[in-house]
Amino acid sequence: MTSDLQKINDRYSMFSALAPHIPDDAEFLFSAKDNLTSAGIETRCGSKILEGYRPAFDAAAIEKMKKSGGGLVGKTNMDEFGFGTFSVNSAYGIPKNPFDRERSCGGSSGGSACAAAVLEDHVSLGVSTGGSVCCPAAFCGVYGLTPTYGRVSRYGLIDYGNSLDKIGLLSADAGRLKKHLPTISGRDPRDPTSCVQPEPALSGKRIGSVAVPKEALDGASADVRRAFNESLERIRGMGADVETVDMPALRYAMPAYYIIATCEASTNLARYVGMRYGRQDGDLALKFDDYFTSFRTKYFGDEAKRRILLGTYTRMAGFRDRYYAKALSVRRHVIGSYREILKNYDAVATPTMPFVSPKFADIALMGPVESYAADRLTIPPNLAGTPHLSVPCGYDGDGMPIGLQLVADHWNEDVLISFASDWEGMFDSRRAEADI
Amino acid sequence: MKIGLEIHVQLPTRSKMFCSCPTTDAEAPNTHVCPTCLGMPGSRPALNRKVLEYGIMLAKMLNCKVAETTWFSRKTYFYPDMSKSVQITQYDNPVGSEGFYSVKGKKIRITRIQLEEDPGKTKRVGDLSSLVDYNRSGIPLAEIVTEPDMSTPAEAREFLGLLIADIRHTLDLPGDGERSIRCDCNISVGKERCEVKNVTGLKNVERALSFEVVRQTKVLKAGGKVERETRRFDEERGVTISVRKKEFESDYGFIDEPDLGIFRIGKMAESIKIRESPQNMALRLAAQYGLEEKTAKQIVSTSVGLAELFEDVAKAAGVGTAASWIGAAASYWKTFEDSPEGRSGIVAILRDLSEGRINDVEAGMRLRSFMTGATEESVKAASADLDVLIAGYIDANPAILDEIRRNEKASNRIIGHVMKESGGAYSSADVVSAVKRIVDGRL
Amino acid sequence: MDREIVARVAKAAHIALTDEELDRYSKDLADILDYFRILDEAPGEEGVGVNPVDVSDVLRDDEPRMDIDPYSLLEGMSTYDGYVRGPRLS
Repeated sequence: MTSDLQKINDRYSMFSALAPHIPDDAEFLFSAKDNLTSAGIETRCGSKILEGYRPAFDAAAIEKMKKSGGGLVGKTNMDEFGFGTFSVNSAYGIPKNPFDRERSCGGSSGGSACAAAVLEDHVSLGVSTGGSVCCPAAFCGVYGLTPTYGRVSRYGLIDYGNSLDKIGLLSADAGRLKKHLPTISGRDPRDPTSCVQPEPALSGKRIGSVAVPKEALDGASADVRRAFNESLERIRGMGADVETVDMPALRYAMPAYYIIATCEASTNLARYVGMRYGRQDGDLALKFDDYFTSFRTKYFGDEAKRRILLGTYTRMAGFRDRYYAKALSVRRHVIGSYREILKNYDAVATPTMPFVSPKFADIALMGPVESYAADRLTIPPNLAGTPHLSVPCGYDGDGMPIGLQLVADHWNEDVLISFASDWEGMFDSRRAEADI
Repeated sequence: MKIGLEIHVQLPTRSKMFCSCPTTDAEAPNTHVCPTCLGMPGSRPALNRKVLEYGIMLAKMLNCKVAETTWFSRKTYFYPDMSKSVQITQYDNPVGSEGFYSVKGKKIRITRIQLEEDPGKTKRVGDLSSLVDYNRSGIPLAEIVTEPDMSTPAEAREFLGLLIADIRHTLDLPGDGERSIRCDCNISVGKERCEVKNVTGLKNVERALSFEVVRQTKVLKAGGKVERETRRFDEERGVTISVRKKEFESDYGFIDEPDLGIFRIGKMAESIKIRESPQNMALRLAAQYGLEEKTAKQIVSTSVGLAELFEDVAKAAGVGTAASWIGAAASYWKTFEDSPEGRSGIVAILRDLSEGRINDVEAGMRLRSFMTGATEESVKAASADLDVLIAGYIDANPAILDEIRRNEKASNRIIGHVMKESGGAYSSADVVSAVKRIVDGRL
Repeated sequence: MDREIVARVAKAAHIALTDEELDRYSKDLADILDYFRILDEAPGEEGVGVNPVDVSDVLRDDEPRMDIDPYSLLEGMSTYDGYVRGPRLS
């Protein structure tokens, strides 16, 4: 088993660490993104600075999956601390798209999407801050669900942006999302933000109406437009009303998101200073400021530094009101806008990503703004903490998968789960060739 | 001269502020720690209810506005004892704000009270490296910030002394409450102020401030400028030392703490009643019963129980009786086991007196016997002799009463005479209270 | 974006930048913030709390408890005599 996984991993680099032992009596197998702590298994978040960190405890989501019979096979590769859209910002290998190994799996839960696409009967725990579940799900042609903020305990999640981070599920099989959402949900006194949720209830509620924001197709590629429009036809065919709506608030979501996310991230990452965990091999005779600086300079990657600088800047005295405080108030406005629309519709539909997975060579040419802009459709529901789902909905001329994203109101995962089951019955998704 | 203080009080919870680690003294370094207070990746905080309750109590004690909604913020700074490089503290909407605290009738304004976590403790190892113990990391603190309303180091010391006594009383702080209280002192003689960080103990606060007065005055007299900076106090040498210039201070970049949510504490605050602080009680006794402020303070500082007895007696037997007999009760207070039942026994005796069932000699003997546990016979014998001595002196020197009317200190002559005549057979407290009682009766 | 400000930010964040990096990050940050300018015109909404769902009054009882053996936490740390080793203080 482990040696098979090793072979698959040699080909796709989806794992940053394989479990040393998989229990024989496991009822199902799962993997988990490497920003979820796993007792005794190195947990590094794609970062050099955490090399050697073996947590003493399992993350709540991993603990619950194990309790319900799951066997953890490995920790999946990711952008360093979740900072990226293509999983290329990892110190431990770059996961390769199962449909074309020259292309990205998406990010930042790229390894999880890759594992979900390649391994049989698999489900993977991903984490989404700004789209990190749905983006790779779309790029790898699998189902991805990000539940409502606070639905799944973040105990054991290594923080990126605490008011944005959500643990979700990826699988080639929609039924696994339905099965495991209740497994990982629920209140946990170790994470206060999980303690306000209503009981998760999957009653099979069908989607009756779908809103499509006017801006949904701005900047989308021709293949994505075609697949999205076909999907809307399918949804009509399922008996749901589809209407175009105006959601001007969505255009403000991205700057608000990046400011909140990087402000929180820059404080979360302040703890990595070469003491207590991860790398601790510096010269203690240095004065503490210099000692800390030497580690952070040496072991944080380029994108981590960029986001730390951006976050530190936008929360600094003198800039805080213009950026951080404003971003919080804009976030409330975006949430309000979803609430208004979702009073009258069961879900908001857009493509998940404006294009299919790009080639690594093209990614290397992208500047930060261009690459941030790729997330413009996944960011709004992430900023609003609303549950959202990506389902495979088409393929481009090269056979690369395209995703459809549906957003529901807070705590209403129910309609997304039943939509995924219905969709699976009527859309023939392709399996990537694993060749092993 | 302007002095303002930032006082850090360790709150007496059983578990830490954001995790369940015990707050008791640990047997070894880093044994009362968990992922949360070690700031390990993947851990997160959950707020201890008691911390909010204590914060509200202090806010009430200091006549602050209690916030309707309060929350926490992240203050980012890098130091080996701060395990997350982030301190969870309060920035906007702290638990209490805009209060005041009176010292000798002067109001010292309280800017705010905020709740925050204590960092760990560092230890120097020569000049080469440091060692850190995180047992203290996450112990809850209340930080009380005053306006710069104090004008001398002595006043600051007096303020702090009274404040600490009141805090101990309000929060039921165990043992030596002074030790769990640390102070940052802001002082400006001229325009610019300096901050002396982390001073422990009343005496040191006064010493550090006095040193700064001299230092800053000297700088100004020489035509120099006092630099805005942070200093620390060297207890052994009694001097303050510059730690860093203000312009190099780190930018904390406060953001709201996203892991805890917000706290709507209006209702909680309504339901929390605090014990009246000794200072407030003294002021109230003075106002309510027409006592001199000095007398009221003496009663309260002997014991809050004694002050409560005073109020019980005043209610049952009148303020006059309470005022003349509280001194006698005070003189037996040390041996008296204070309890509500015990107090009602005293009230009964004095009610008998005020309603004319017994005379004051009888009342005095019963009171002494009741409070000291001595038999009535022995008390009777001794006190009869004492009363006879006192009465004898007054009868022989009737002019003394006029003198006492002019100046109450004249009664010291009677006391001196009786002490000498009796050859020390009675305690001075007994003599003082008996003289007061008999003189009051004749005036 | 002012190089000086970026240098100050980097210092606060404890990240050392070479001249080349300082130039590069200054430009990146300038581009990003320029892109964010749209925020200035965005409508906002007053409110308290930073969580996207209302999280209020979640409190823990004051019960001391230790679920994880502290010695197991210290295993991965560089320690001396039970203390965690740290750099020079001054």
